[in-house]
Amino acid sequence: MRVIVIGAGDVGRHIATTLSAERHDVTIVDQDAERVEALRNELDALVVAGNGASPKVLADLGAAEADLVCGVTQSDEANIIAALAGHQIGAKRTVARVRDADYFGGDESYATHVLGIDFVVHPERATAEDLAEAIILPGAVHAEHFGDGRISIAESILTSRSPLVGRQLGERRMVRPNFIFGLIRDGRAVAAEPFHVLKRGDHVLVAAAREHIGEVVGHLAGRMPTGRDVIVFGAGRIGLPLSRRLEGQDGVRVTVMESNPDRARFAAERLARGNVVLEEGVEKDVLLAHGVDRARAFVACAGDDRANLLAAMHAKQLGADLCLAVVSREEFTPLVDALGIDAAFSPRLVTAEAILRSVRGGNVRAMYLLLGGAEVLEVQAEPGCRAEGRTVKDAGKRAHTRVAALVRDGKVIIPHGEERVQGGDRMVIFNAIRGVADVGSTFGAS
Amino acid sequence: MRARRPGGLGTSVNWQLVVPVVGGTLGAVGLGMAVCALTAVVAGDGAGVAFAAPTAVALALGVFALASARRLRSIPFRARDGFLAVTLAWFAAAVAGAVPFLLHGSFERPVDAFFESMSGFTTTGATLLGRVEAEPHAILLWRSLTQWMGGVGIVVLVVAIAPATGMATNRVFYAETSGMAAQRLTPRIADTAKILWGIYVAFTVAGFVAFAAAGMGPFDAANHILTTIATGGFSTRTASIAAFDSLAIELVTIVFMVLGGINFALYWRALRGADSLRPQLPELRAYVVLLVVATAVVTLSLVASDTAIGAGDALRDSAFTVVSITTSTGFITADFEEWNSFGQLVMLMLMFIGACAGSTAGGMKVIRVLLLGKAAAQEIERQVRPTTVQVLRVGGRVFSEDVRKGVVSFFSIYMLIFAAGTVVMAAIGVDGTTAVSSVIASLNIIGPGLGEVGATENYTAIPSGGLWFLSALMLAGRLEVFTVLVLLTPAFWRRSVA
Repeated sequence: MRVIVIGAGDVGRHIATTLSAERHDVTIVDQDAERVEALRNELDALVVAGNGASPKVLADLGAAEADLVCGVTQSDEANIIAALAGHQIGAKRTVARVRDADYFGGDESYATHVLGIDFVVHPERATAEDLAEAIILPGAVHAEHFGDGRISIAESILTSRSPLVGRQLGERRMVRPNFIFGLIRDGRAVAAEPFHVLKRGDHVLVAAAREHIGEVVGHLAGRMPTGRDVIVFGAGRIGLPLSRRLEGQDGVRVTVMESNPDRARFAAERLARGNVVLEEGVEKDVLLAHGVDRARAFVACAGDDRANLLAAMHAKQLGADLCLAVVSREEFTPLVDALGIDAAFSPRLVTAEAILRSVRGGNVRAMYLLLGGAEVLEVQAEPGCRAEGRTVKDAGKRAHTRVAALVRDGKVIIPHGEERVQGGDRMVIFNAIRGVADVGSTFGAS
Repeated sequence: MRARRPGGLGTSVNWQLVVPVVGGTLGAVGLGMAVCALTAVVAGDGAGVAFAAPTAVALALGVFALASARRLRSIPFRARDGFLAVTLAWFAAAVAGAVPFLLHGSFERPVDAFFESMSGFTTTGATLLGRVEAEPHAILLWRSLTQWMGGVGIVVLVVAIAPATGMATNRVFYAETSGMAAQRLTPRIADTAKILWGIYVAFTVAGFVAFAAAGMGPFDAANHILTTIATGGFSTRTASIAAFDSLAIELVTIVFMVLGGINFALYWRALRGADSLRPQLPELRAYVVLLVVATAVVTLSLVASDTAIGAGDALRDSAFTVVSITTSTGFITADFEEWNSFGQLVMLMLMFIGACAGSTAGGMKVIRVLLLGKAAAQEIERQVRPTTVQVLRVGGRVFSEDVRKGVVSFFSIYMLIFAAGTVVMAAIGVDGTTAVSSVIASLNIIGPGLGEVGATENYTAIPSGGLWFLSALMLAGRLEVFTVLVLLTPAFWRRSVA
């Protein structure tokens, strides 16, 4: 596959690295000559200095034969123009990262059908969605839905409240059909085995039918977070859509802290019920004054990673039930666990995930990247594929993956390992180590 | 460096805006008088002479002013020029409107004629005529026409019919119309003015047909729709609408009073689709709720306190009176002075609240009252939670902090004028009830009040000083206070004002 990535920022580099590692032909363009020079040495890709939004540059780079043109510069406008130009020149697929909701807020069909941009990624909005899921589904820090929303995959952090801590995975009681297929321990993802003894701080990955996931996660996590107050620290591009989403939920009362008066007013005018306070909010006494100690969740999503980590750490120490932080820079992620913060969310990762998900196309339908370098994805077993007729366990092994759940004829099956794969099954599979090549050869049409 | 403003006559006033606006207004008044002169000729009632001379003079001044405006343009106009031009235009209209009353002999004293004329143009509806029926058709029609011209706004009319005069149309438009109405509908103000007047004329025609169908003669129907849609309240009968004693006529009156009390921009937006309508809906909803609840409450209190009145009659009387008072029309079917004090006080409250901004009605306007309530609640909350960012919001529509300040200061000034006005009226020598209610009825441009200016009375009991004062209150009330008040500040007349 020939890929042109425009913009060598965090996201661009991440996508280029991942795709290059998967042996795709990657060209990456950036206007910053120094950055380009530095990248030449670290990336197995064609690194070019130039304006990627220029149709001439794109044509010179061979956009006409490209399978994917991907606009991920800092500028929404440049990304949109690059995608438009790529589409015009003849690229098979175009993707643009757009941060400003004013462009295609809520209506991507305009971008797709009128402008011809195949995929628009809204990093902040997608991050806000993920955060909202983590808050609405108590006990889980992430929840993703697969198989047209029938299967839910939840990532849950074990706290001392969890009845599972200190036990072997094989001896736990089951309330509803579910499958703990993976663990993230010390920042590394592993496939869960019955002999694993669970520890506090483990991230447990569990699959269940969507209608059961709440109960399953509740059982894993022990006591549910209580209270109705959710405190959102920062009313920025993530905080505002998150608050808007949350205030529509029953039994949730949102308080937004924002230190910039203009932004605070902007947010207050756009929230129907949520309460916006003009506060710096990093200090403990301020957090306490707004009831952080009784909060069901505290979300730090201001623009500054350090402030987010600090605020979330304070909130955790003060007794907030669930503390989430948005951390954009990868080098800060190790701090998340060290500070006792329940989970970190990265818009960069969300963007890369969305774009990579769209790249894989074919039989990979949906994907979810984990912070630990693992991924969960959805594939359809094509009729006549190599896995057909084999047991789920065997098929998973062949592909160096694990099948977490599958949907067959509209019904969710949580496999015990002995079910046999049939053509047309939609399977949710877990890769502890990223790399999708085997999946295609196992489940794809032969 | 302070450049001397061109076109001035030694003051900082920009006469190049003021002259055409005042002249254009006089021209419009002249057109109205011409209609009355024709009516006098057709009816042969002998009042034509009273209209001939003022018509000629007003039209001549109008043509002259507009013609002079055509030559003088490209001068920067400022908000203050608009305030002065509009206030002077209304004053000039009232003066010109008084002339036929004097010439015909309806009134002997100039103050009486001026009061009647000002009460007409401001759509107040307070009258000094003891026996309305005694007046000739032309004079009756003139009273109705003053109200009709004042209803949507006489300067708006000038802007609509003479937009190409190089006037700073938006300055005068905003000085006359309600600051709360967000009325600009089109890129050009002149087009907006045309739309507003177009809607107004359409309602007038529809109302004429409705009144005629309800059993009024053509002359009565014409006069009553002119004063109903303008929410003015002048009638061709001394006893007002009660003289007809017809349920059908009362219902038609109620409908068109209610329509006149709605923001005229809303009708235009309704034609353009539901989406653009949404920001206007909270006020409309509150207006309808106010009318329904007030009617229900007053009906109940009438039935409870007066065993002689049937539930049906109580509903009929209270619905008509509530609508008439809330929309600041002032038509009468029942003497609310004979109601219990609860009913009377509800009426006084309704006078203050008024109808929707951007309508022909007076009062503080429903949207301001809603915003005041919200602002007060938020101020109380702010004592407890000082860092909360408060947003002034009514029914999903967000209002800026400027609006919050504006509404609060409007209310304070309104109340100050009311309090001071009451004292002035008492000093002039009227009794307490009359002083309070005449100020309320004039400032809110209602017409009838309580006491000596009650529903079945007129304003003849007020001394001449009081009539001048109440005329000024009517003008201030019609122009929503600020336009007139800024003229009274020293800063306005200081030349260095930027």
